[in-house]
Amino acid sequence: MADAAKAPRKRLAIITTVWRYLSHAQHMGDRFLVGYPWNGRWHRPEMDVVSLYVDQKPEGDQSQARADEFKFKVYPTIAETLRCGTDRLAVDGVLIIGEHGDYPINEKGQILYPRYEFFKQCVDVFDKEGRGVPVFNDKHLSYSFDKASQMVAARKRLGFPMLAGSSLPVTWRLPSVEVPLDSTIEEALMVGVGGSDPMDFHALEAMQCMLERRRNGETGVKAVQLLQGPAVWQAGKDGRWSRRLLEAALARSTSMSGNATKDGRPQDLTHSGELEQLVKDPAAYLIEYNDGLRATLLMINGAVSDYTFACRVRGHSQILSTQFLLPVVPNVTYSTCLMNKVEEMIASGKAPYPVERTQLVSGILDLCLESKVRANQRLDTPQLNVQYRAPKASQFGGAPA
Amino acid sequence: MPEPLKISRRTVLAAAPAAAALSMTGCGVLANQTAKRPRIAALVTEVRRLSHGEVILDRFLEGFGWESGHHHPQVDLVSLYVDQFPEGDLSRERAARFPQLKIYPSVAEALTCGGEKLAVDGVMIIGEHGKYPVNEKGQTLYPRYEFFQQTVDVFSKNGRVVPVFNDKHLSWNWELCAKMALTARCMGIPLMAGSSLPVTWRIPSVEMPDEAEVEEAMAIGNGNPDSYDFHALETIQCFVERRKDGETGVVRLEALRGDVVWKALAAGSWSAGGWDPTLFEACLCRSHTLTPAREGFNHVYPTPEDMARIVKDPVAYRFEYADRLKATMLLLNGLVGDITFAARIKGQSEPLSTLMYLGGSNDTQPFNFDALVWNIEQFFLTRKVPYPLERTLLTSGLVAAGIESLHRKGGWIDTPHLEISYLATRHSTFRRT
Repeated sequence: MADAAKAPRKRLAIITTVWRYLSHAQHMGDRFLVGYPWNGRWHRPEMDVVSLYVDQKPEGDQSQARADEFKFKVYPTIAETLRCGTDRLAVDGVLIIGEHGDYPINEKGQILYPRYEFFKQCVDVFDKEGRGVPVFNDKHLSYSFDKASQMVAARKRLGFPMLAGSSLPVTWRLPSVEVPLDSTIEEALMVGVGGSDPMDFHALEAMQCMLERRRNGETGVKAVQLLQGPAVWQAGKDGRWSRRLLEAALARSTSMSGNATKDGRPQDLTHSGELEQLVKDPAAYLIEYNDGLRATLLMINGAVSDYTFACRVRGHSQILSTQFLLPVVPNVTYSTCLMNKVEEMIASGKAPYPVERTQLVSGILDLCLESKVRANQRLDTPQLNVQYRAPKASQFGGAPA
Repeated sequence: MPEPLKISRRTVLAAAPAAAALSMTGCGVLANQTAKRPRIAALVTEVRRLSHGEVILDRFLEGFGWESGHHHPQVDLVSLYVDQFPEGDLSRERAARFPQLKIYPSVAEALTCGGEKLAVDGVMIIGEHGKYPVNEKGQTLYPRYEFFQQTVDVFSKNGRVVPVFNDKHLSWNWELCAKMALTARCMGIPLMAGSSLPVTWRIPSVEMPDEAEVEEAMAIGNGNPDSYDFHALETIQCFVERRKDGETGVVRLEALRGDVVWKALAAGSWSAGGWDPTLFEACLCRSHTLTPAREGFNHVYPTPEDMARIVKDPVAYRFEYADRLKATMLLLNGLVGDITFAARIKGQSEPLSTLMYLGGSNDTQPFNFDALVWNIEQFFLTRKVPYPLERTLLTSGLVAAGIESLHRKGGWIDTPHLEISYLATRHSTFRRT
């Protein structure tokens, strides 16, 4: 402890698309400026934001006000941000927060956030310096699996720690359960809501952080298919996803819709017949893994407003199910769970879980959306041959030690 | 086994007529136990969307998400007494849609299902919400005691009793609370009571360690006295009752309201007239609904000045247990929208702290009631109370004492009648699965 106290405080750069109230940059970046609640204390990270690059300054921009108050500088380029206006790399960690802002949308419905481009400019600085520093990339690495893979390759080449992804894998769970490490998962189903491609990414990564713990680790994905409309319900009838797992996942939901909104009654959406009426535009993301595991994400806007998961584990009589809790606006305390992992990586120089998780999920999403624009065809995905091992220790909020 | 109930002489005298009546009717004869599904009556003040009546009854009628499925309770809700039918009443719609359920015009008829004899295997008293007189102390006079007494009358006439669940505190009045508890004990009525807070999810999912020597405890909540103080007090009690040597009861209490709460905050310790600031910080740091003290920030720790500005009507109850444990219950309406708990435990460097999770917002199911209804169902199936009635007797008395102190504009009140000893269940009873 004495040594840690003497060590100079780490210096952070934030590279972001926009910084305004309730943008990811604001609620994540502010954790390093004003602290955040952690384990029953108001925790103030032993590190300082020293520089900021912000790509767009729309109405409500807070970047300069924050810089003035917290004594850091906004630079006009990413290279200058990482060098703090000098000619050498001058920070100990970089947060790339490329979510929110006004960016083009492609034919697959993907918002073309410039995360790859931001990252590439960081890597250019690292290359010139001959070393990198820990990088956090918020959400998927890129809308493009190819670009995501290039990012992971650059990380490997330069050997810097990298953490990425959604807050769902690290937020609280109700109940506080984990897939036992090295268990055999027979079938899995995730329920999510929201638009594509921001929210389906969160749901896919939540599912992935459970499945990667299975026996023999992650093996990659051999095929994906995205179904829409009545074909989603038909696929359930055909046994391509499990209605029983849907019941288990929905038993963890605390949403209200339909009759429940009207008069408060608890819902049994799986059996009441309401589900198909409430969900006007369902989507099923069918994922076939290389080791034979099949998993499905159901996006059922209109029926629920939360993220739930269920799977069958061989040898367990009970279905394992949980809700990935997204606490309410404005505190959105799930981002404390994620920023605590970022802080851990920057302090220790080690990523608490592999970036390959987010690489694979970026690819699953990219190819599911490819299936969507190719008439919902099943696509073979040899390129998603991403293999990795989950950390032994659980990483989510309040996980049993 | 719980220790015998300690009730003051004054209380015993107040309850004496009921006890005398019972001794003549042969109380304490248990109902015949059969394998058939228990039939349940509910006595409800009103049934409107998201009233306690609605959320509890509907979980029995419609089932609810529990573990990995939609659970339908293994009991049948067959009769209702509804005291008020305001606009938005749902009881008639429910009775029409569930043919086994009938509404009766009186408590007695609900219990006999319109016949001569007691015709149900369990009774729920849900006396929360509805328009009732408010007394000079600001207490809403919900007729829980009256519903209970009318139930007891039916039991007395029939010479047998069935399990009774009472939602929230027993009564607004301590003498009536004590009378209910004493009557239940004398007649052998299994009586379960209390808030949903002790059984709901906790974030993180923690329990008071066995044999913990608790030195000071705190709950911070939202809402107003005479309602949410009870939930916050049950929160404290369900943890601290597990301490070393069990519950000893409370010897004195003082209520603070307004600026004196901030003076107590500034005092910096219990002995200086306040509380342990680490417990206060722990509670606020477990909240998911801390009102941002600065515009443009979504989550900042408030200064004392921020709190004084944000909270219009702060309330605190400070109370001491017979074994010297100290506790503070704070209602900081406006600053938080949830109920959190913290305790300092001898030998532990950091406080134990958690959030009692009640759901996300008004757009989500009040799923704390899932866990409560699960416990009520188990109670009716087994006829065994899931946790001691003494907990809710004590917290009911704390509410009454808190309201009394507020009514007197503060000051300590000695509470010898609350020296209630009991032992907690060995196993945890909050929702973890």
